[in-house]
Amino acid sequence: MTSDQRIPITVIGGYLGAGKTTLVNHVLRSTDERIAVIVNDFGEISIDEDLIVAADSDKLTLANGCICCSLAEGFSAALDTVRSAGVLPTRLLIEASGVADPNQIAAYGHTPGLALDAVVVLADAEQVRRQANHRWVADTVRIQLAAADLVVVNKIDLLAAPEDADALCDWLTGVANGATLVRASRAAVPMDVIFGPELREHAAGRSPSTVASSARAAHDTAEDVFESQTVVLDAPVPLPVIEALVANLPNGVARLKGLVQAAPPASADDANAAETAYLVEAIGKRTSMTPHATDPTQPPPRWAISLISHKGSLAPDWLESRLHERN
Amino acid sequence: MGTNQPFVIYPARRVITINPAYPFGEAVAVAGDRILGVGSTDELASWGEHRIDDCFAEHVIMPGFVEAHCHVMSGGLWNSTYVGYFDRRDPQGLLWPGCTSIDDVLERLAKAAADMSDDSQTLLAWGLDPIYFPGERLVASHLDTVTGDRPTLVLHASGHLATINSALMDRCGIDETATSPGVARGGDGLPNGELHEPAGMMLAGDAFVDMMKANRTEQARWRYANEARNAGHTLLTDLGTTQLWDPDQLNNWKKVTGDPAYPARVMVAMSNLFGAVADPAELAELCVQLKSEQSDKLRFGIVKLILDGSIQGFTARISWPHYYKPPPGHIGNGLWLTAPDQMADLVEPYHRAGLTVHCHCNGDEASEAFIDAVEEVLQRYPRWDHRHTVQHCQLTTPAQYRRMAALGMSANIFSNHIYYWGDQHRDVTVGPERAARMDACRTALDSGVSFSIHSDSPITPLGHLQTAWCAVNRVTASGQVLGPDERIGVPDALRAITIDAARQLKLDGEIGSIEAGKLADFAVLEDDPLSVDPMALRDIGVWGTVLGGELQPAQIGES
Ligand SMILES: [Zn+2]
Ligand SMILES: [Zn+2]
Ligand SMILES: [Zn+2]
Repeated sequence: MTSDQRIPITVIGGYLGAGKTTLVNHVLRSTDERIAVIVNDFGEISIDEDLIVAADSDKLTLANGCICCSLAEGFSAALDTVRSAGVLPTRLLIEASGVADPNQIAAYGHTPGLALDAVVVLADAEQVRRQANHRWVADTVRIQLAAADLVVVNKIDLLAAPEDADALCDWLTGVANGATLVRASRAAVPMDVIFGPELREHAAGRSPSTVASSARAAHDTAEDVFESQTVVLDAPVPLPVIEALVANLPNGVARLKGLVQAAPPASADDANAAETAYLVEAIGKRTSMTPHATDPTQPPPRWAISLISHKGSLAPDWLESRLHERN
Repeated sequence: MGTNQPFVIYPARRVITINPAYPFGEAVAVAGDRILGVGSTDELASWGEHRIDDCFAEHVIMPGFVEAHCHVMSGGLWNSTYVGYFDRRDPQGLLWPGCTSIDDVLERLAKAAADMSDDSQTLLAWGLDPIYFPGERLVASHLDTVTGDRPTLVLHASGHLATINSALMDRCGIDETATSPGVARGGDGLPNGELHEPAGMMLAGDAFVDMMKANRTEQARWRYANEARNAGHTLLTDLGTTQLWDPDQLNNWKKVTGDPAYPARVMVAMSNLFGAVADPAELAELCVQLKSEQSDKLRFGIVKLILDGSIQGFTARISWPHYYKPPPGHIGNGLWLTAPDQMADLVEPYHRAGLTVHCHCNGDEASEAFIDAVEEVLQRYPRWDHRHTVQHCQLTTPAQYRRMAALGMSANIFSNHIYYWGDQHRDVTVGPERAARMDACRTALDSGVSFSIHSDSPITPLGHLQTAWCAVNRVTASGQVLGPDERIGVPDALRAITIDAARQLKLDGEIGSIEAGKLADFAVLEDDPLSVDPMALRDIGVWGTVLGGELQPAQIGES
C-alpha cells in the first residue's frame, strides 16, 4: 500500500439535465470498487430506482452495496453516514446540484482524510449553448464549465451532424479553458478517463517492460475512442523531465497518472542526495506532483506512468520518447 | 342563543380589533379559548354569567402578533453566547447589550469563559457581524487573549462564516499546511481562525455540529415560543427548518405544542431542503397527510422553497446593473439555489395538492422566476385562492407587484432589513436608488398585494413592534430615512403583522383579528400603537399575550 490513504473525491457537476445522475449510475455499474455517493440534492435527486435496495431517511443503499447520502445536512453528517456503513469506500463521488458551483463542492476535497481527484462537469450537447446564453443561468453554466477538469460533452448522439459536434467542442474548449473534453452518449465515459489510469501498486510478478493497454472496465464501449500507454520506469527520472512532461501535455491526453522516483539534480551533494518519490497526476488544467512516502515494510512500488489519450492523437511511443529525453 | 359558559370580561384602555367593521372596543369577553365579543363592558355583560377581570384595564389589547417567517433556531442559538451588534433579549427576557466593538465582543467572551466550570468545554458564540467593524477583523489571536486554552467558536450572523481560536485550530489540526480554500489566512500567510462556508466551517468538527444540533432540542422549541410570547406573538411560522419527514422532529413538535403551557401556536412549513426525500409529489402528499394530524397549536399546509441567497452576502440574484460595490473577486451576480427553469415543475405538485408555496426570493431575478413559475402552474392547473407567497421580497419591483396582484399572490416583506442593513444596502450592496425602494411595503399596498412583514429570526430579533416600526419609519441604524416614499401608515403596518400575516397562512378565519368566534389570542401592550409617535412604536412595552384565553405574561429579566 502507499502511505497516502486519503480517499479520492470526484465532483460531478453540470447544469440540470446534463446527465449527472446518469454518469453516477454508469460509474456504479462499471466498477467493483466500493464507491460512496453523496448527493447535493436540493430537490433534484433521481438515482435510478433499480439501483436502490434500501432507503432510510438520510441514505440509500445501492444494489452493489455502495451507499448514497445527501449533502444537505452538511458534509460532516454525510461523511458520518458513509463511515457508519462499515467498510470505508475507496472513492467518493459527490453529485453537485444542477446550479451549484462545482468549485465550492470541490472545497470539501480538502477535508482531512480526503483528496480531490477531479471535477467532472457534464454539458448537454444539445442545450449547453442555449443555457450559456440564458438570461438567468448563463453565468451559472459558464462558471460550472470553467470549474471543470474534465468536460463530458454528453448526448453527443443527439446532434444532427458531426460538424456540429466539432463546432460545439471548439466553443466548449474556450469556455472551459484548459479542461479535457470527452464526447459521450448516455454519459458512458471510460472509467480510466473518469478515475485516471490504474497504477498497479507493486512490482511483484510484473515484467518490467510491460506496456499495458488499459482495459480495466471491460464493458466500456469507448475503446475505439481512447487508448492508453504505460511506461514502466526502471530507474529514477530527473525532476525537470517530469515537470516538463506534466506542464506540456498535448490536447489529446485525457488523463495521466504516475508513481515516479525523481533523481536528484546532478549538482547535488551526493551525501544528501536522495531520490524523492512523487505521485504525478494530470487531468485538464489540474496537474499535481505530490511527494509520496513509501512504506519500507512493503515491497517496493511499481514505478510507472500511464496516460489515456484520444485514439490516434499521439504516437504510440510518445510517452516513452518524452521520458527518454532525459538521456 | 347565548352562552351557557361562564366567561371573563377584560376591560382595557382600548381594544384594537383590526376588524374594519368594528375597529375599537372598551373590553373583550373570552369564553374558554374563544372570543365571545368586543364592545362596552355593559354590552358584553348582557351575554350572561360572567366575571370581570381588571388586570388589563390600563393596557391596550390587540390581536396576537403573527410571524409568518422565522426559524426555530431562534430558540436554539441561545445555548451559545450572543455577540451581535444590536441589543437583543433572550427567551428569559434578559437584555444582552449589543457588542459594538471588537473589544466588546472579547469582553463578552471573557465573561462567558469565566462562567464555564468545565475547562475542556468548547465556548460557542453567535451573531458576530463584521460588516459593522469595517477595517478591523476579529481573528484567532484576538480570541486567544481572552479564551486561553479553551476551544472557542464564534458563528457569524450570516451563518456562512465562523471564527475559531488557536486552541480549536490545534484540536482540529488546522495549521499552515491547510489546503482548503475555506481556511482564511492573515497577512503572515498563516490561518487566522476564520473559516468560510460549510466546507471550511466543518473543519471545526464537533464544535460546529454541536451548535447545529442544539437547534433540534425540545428546549430550543420552548425558548422559541417564550421569546415569541415576550414580544406579543401568538403564532410563529418555522419556515423550512424542520425535516417533517423525520418522525423524531415531527413528534418533538407534537410533544411541545401538546403541552398546555406551551405559549405559542406554530405553523411548521414543509421544506424540500435538508434531506433525501426529494420527490415533490411525495412531500406534497406527506404535507396533506400532516394537515389531518394538526391541532389548535400545531399547523401544517405550507411549503418552503428557496431560489437565491442574501443581498448582504452578495448571493441574491439581482438583475442588471447587479451589485453596486461588490467585494473584489465577486462573480458579478448572486447564486441560484434552485434552477429557475425547474421552478414550475417544483411548484406544481404542491399547487395541485392544495398547499401554499412560500418561496425565498431576496433578489428581483428570484422573484421574477417564482412569479413566472406560479403563472405557468396556474395555466396548467387553474386554482382559486392559492395565496402563494414571495418571501423576503426585498427587491421586488412595482411591475412584479402588479403581476403578483393579478395572480393572487402574497408578499412577506423583510422590513427589518431597512434598519439592520439599510445603510450597507445604500452604500455598498445595491446603491442609493434601489436601496430606497427595497422592502417596498407602500408599493405592495398600492398594487393591491396582500402582505405581511417579518423578522426572519434569528437573522433579526423577533418582535413585530420592531418590524412595524421599520415599515412605518424606514429609519436605518445610522438614523437616516431610507426611501421615505415607501413608508406605510401605522394602521397599515398593524394589519400586516396580524390579519394579513394570518391570511397568508390561511388562518385568517381563526386568528389575526379580535372578533366574536375567533380564538382568543391577544398581544397585551403597555401603550397604544395608534396614539404614540410612530418613532416610539418599537419602544412600547409588552405585558405578554393571551393564547387561547390563557394569560401568558412576558418574562422580563434583569440585564
Ligand atoms: Zn445563508
Ligand atoms: Zn430566506
Ligand atoms: Zn428565513
